[in-house]
Amino acid sequence: MTDVMIEFRDVCKRYGTLVANDHLSLAIRKGELMTLLGPSGCGKTTALRCLTGYIRPDEGRIFIDGQDITDVPTHQRELGMVFQNFALFPHMTVQDNVGFPLMIRSLSTTERAERVAQALRLVRLEGYESHYPRQLSGGQQQRVGLARALVYRPKVLLLDEPLSNLDAKLREEMRFEIKEVVTRLEITAVYVTHDQAEALALSDRVAIMNRGRLEQVGTPEEIYEHPRSRFVAEFIGLSNFLEGHVQAVDGDIMVVSVGGLQMRIPALPNAGQGQRVLLFLRPNEVELLRPDDPGGANVFDAQVEKATYLGDTMDYRLTFGQDMTLRVQSDAQRRFGQGAPVRIRFPRVRCWAMTSG
Amino acid sequence: MTGFWRTHSSRLITLFLLLPALVGFFGLFFYPMLLTVILSFRPEGQAIGWTLENYTRFLADPDGRWVILLTFILSLGGTALSVLLSVPLALILREKVRGHRFYRLMVLVPLVVPGLIGALGLLLFWGTRGWFNLFLLQFVPFVERPVAVNYTIHGLILFYVWLYFPYTCITTLSSLESLDRSIEEAGEVSGATRWQVLRYIVLPLITPGILAGSVLTFMAAFGAFSVPLIAGGNYRPLAVEIYKQIAVPIPARWSAASAIAIIMGVLQVIFLSLYMRFVRRGGGTGGPS
Amino acid sequence: MRLARAYGRAMWDARLILAYTLLLSLTLFILAPFLMIALRSVGKGWFGRLWLPPQLTLDWYRWAVEVGNIPEVMKNTLIIGVIAVAVSTAIGIFAGWAFGRRQMPGKEVLMAIILLPRMIPPITYALGVAKIFYTLELVDTYLGVALAHVSVCAPYAILVLSATFEGLDERVLEAAGVCGANTVKRFFYVVLPLIMPGILASMIFSFTHSYNEFTLTLLTYGPHTVTLPVRTYLAVGDGYWEITSAMAMLMVVPSLLILAVIQRRAKPEKLVGGFKGV
Repeated sequence: MTDVMIEFRDVCKRYGTLVANDHLSLAIRKGELMTLLGPSGCGKTTALRCLTGYIRPDEGRIFIDGQDITDVPTHQRELGMVFQNFALFPHMTVQDNVGFPLMIRSLSTTERAERVAQALRLVRLEGYESHYPRQLSGGQQQRVGLARALVYRPKVLLLDEPLSNLDAKLREEMRFEIKEVVTRLEITAVYVTHDQAEALALSDRVAIMNRGRLEQVGTPEEIYEHPRSRFVAEFIGLSNFLEGHVQAVDGDIMVVSVGGLQMRIPALPNAGQGQRVLLFLRPNEVELLRPDDPGGANVFDAQVEKATYLGDTMDYRLTFGQDMTLRVQSDAQRRFGQGAPVRIRFPRVRCWAMTSG
Repeated sequence: MTGFWRTHSSRLITLFLLLPALVGFFGLFFYPMLLTVILSFRPEGQAIGWTLENYTRFLADPDGRWVILLTFILSLGGTALSVLLSVPLALILREKVRGHRFYRLMVLVPLVVPGLIGALGLLLFWGTRGWFNLFLLQFVPFVERPVAVNYTIHGLILFYVWLYFPYTCITTLSSLESLDRSIEEAGEVSGATRWQVLRYIVLPLITPGILAGSVLTFMAAFGAFSVPLIAGGNYRPLAVEIYKQIAVPIPARWSAASAIAIIMGVLQVIFLSLYMRFVRRGGGTGGPS
Repeated sequence: MRLARAYGRAMWDARLILAYTLLLSLTLFILAPFLMIALRSVGKGWFGRLWLPPQLTLDWYRWAVEVGNIPEVMKNTLIIGVIAVAVSTAIGIFAGWAFGRRQMPGKEVLMAIILLPRMIPPITYALGVAKIFYTLELVDTYLGVALAHVSVCAPYAILVLSATFEGLDERVLEAAGVCGANTVKRFFYVVLPLIMPGILASMIFSFTHSYNEFTLTLLTYGPHTVTLPVRTYLAVGDGYWEITSAMAMLMVVPSLLILAVIQRRAKPEKLVGGFKGV
């Protein structure tokens, strides 16, 4: 337990009837970059605000480094935070912005200057000390924000959608920069975003939230490859979903009837005959074969309904079985035209049991 | 002619659009001002001749200089108190406390109600028989005689605050509300207490707004006429002094009144330009954008 | 830990108490004068150290209406207000369009000059206005008093309306044009709804200024054009506080109506009309 830096213990926050955090429990390890990922309104920002102390949870406790900080005022929590809209002090120079946390902590002028210079070096902004925020580009402003958050070596760095106000190209650049700085300083970081690509690229672990609840916590690989719910699968990457019911269970394998076709897939625990299940496939995990390729298990005939050229990939909408559609992305080297017959093979299918209705 | 129209039509349309405003400006402001200036240099009651006597008489008279001083005391005192009242008030109203809509509306009351009615109510409330003195006499120990508020300098300043603080308050509030809250959050996360956030972040950022509002309050207070007229008693600031010159003596002393009016206008313009220069220097170096 | 929590709670409570004390004192400071007027206007035999009048009466209102001639005065005030609003709004629409949407050399300077009356105490030019109106025989006419008010109202109208027109999005007009609307239709269906709030705000504010205008009225009024503020001033001079209070109560009603409209329709910042460049 000693390696836990931040812990949410049963945190609840309600706004009237709206539940922003519903019994949120989450432990973040020391030196880890944890991303809170979810659509807007999922409660990730509320969770972050509970951490900063800007919002007080209705129930539950929050711990930082083993200390209960639920009732500690914001300014005593020793946090560093980077904001979506940068939140730099517009009336102060870069030097004063970055030096502000040090001034508040009454550091001597010389030590302050030294640490500010060090922080600005870290974010590669040397030479901008006397600029005002309005004279800087968005990317530079966000670097100042990062330097200000790190200058007093906080225990925890919070990042609230820090890249969403930057343009696409800069965003990717900054992504690596943040990752590098955080790794180099071995600081615990909580990163809030709604951008799944960002979350996958940056995080040690991702916590996916939906309607105030935690859907799944895991490494980017776990989240992408083994989503534990339809919501997670849909939120991370493109997904196809097919509904069916279990026809037979044979050890590790079960046969599922989907739109008149039989698929053999790994069995769900406690699966019984007749149970309704939901199959999930990534569009790039479906193998596209020529119509004359040999059949086999999980190989079906299909027809191209629509083909879209995306440069490095082709994006197809296929119909197969009884009125089922499937989105498939494949290499652009081999192309099929609209209306062309094809064969598809599902090498990896995952499924969840559904409650009826 | 058509060629002329084609090349100049755009300018002519602009001129045509501005015409009513220009006519109004010249007829109702510029020409009256000019007339006042001319009148101020005429010997009293005469339509010809030039003299500086109207000015020298007022400025040389200790009473005249007192009137000028009094006007500044009242308007600057009122402005300073308005700022002291408005800043905390705006900080509270920003938080959307319960009933904040009502309080916001209340701040507007002195602006829409005729000043004279306000003054009447103030005289009744602060008078020796008013609730203020009733409260003092009945609930505050060691107060045995009513405290004089009406017809005193501090009373007038108080009335000025009632009448003119909304200018400062509304301007301060609107500049506070245009502040990005996450800036303050950033300050707090950085380790600053609420007071430090207020001192180092919020106040510097809203200073231009406070100063702009206080300019409006100052101008209204400097030109105040109706309220000191009925509630000033023996304390007559410039505007009242001007009116007395044409209302009391028979025949009316138009030239003397005009001279004082010009002195008043010049003083206000000088003071305002100094003030704005100060605002630009003080608020401009650090202000946003 | 518990101590820290209690400390935090106490600080929070102290701040709340302080805030509400301030709000309460402010409420008292602003509204008590009206309460006093209201009580005075219905009180009878209210002398000495009494918090409330011992007897109630409506006599003062009868006096206010009969002797104070309030209906007549109200009529004067409204007529003058309507003329002043009409003239200043017309001036404001034309000039506002020029300032807000047209290119011209020296626009800033010209605007500063036209708005100059706001910088000068009204009594300064009121003297000249009175002199001119005496020669033109405009004193003691509705038109005369209303025109005097225009010198105060028009700058506000110009300020509000040029901001409104400036804020009009060119792209919306273009979009309307692309949709096939002709100029007339474009004006009525697109431009007018967009500028209506601005025009309304300018009219409300002009009316408020005219309704409350005292300085210029005092120098241009006559027996036939007594307005409400002048009537109050004369009544205060007469020294009958009860009747004056009754009059004030009657006069404050339209102000409160205006206040309600402002609260619904307009931003209060516009009422004070900020300065460009401050």
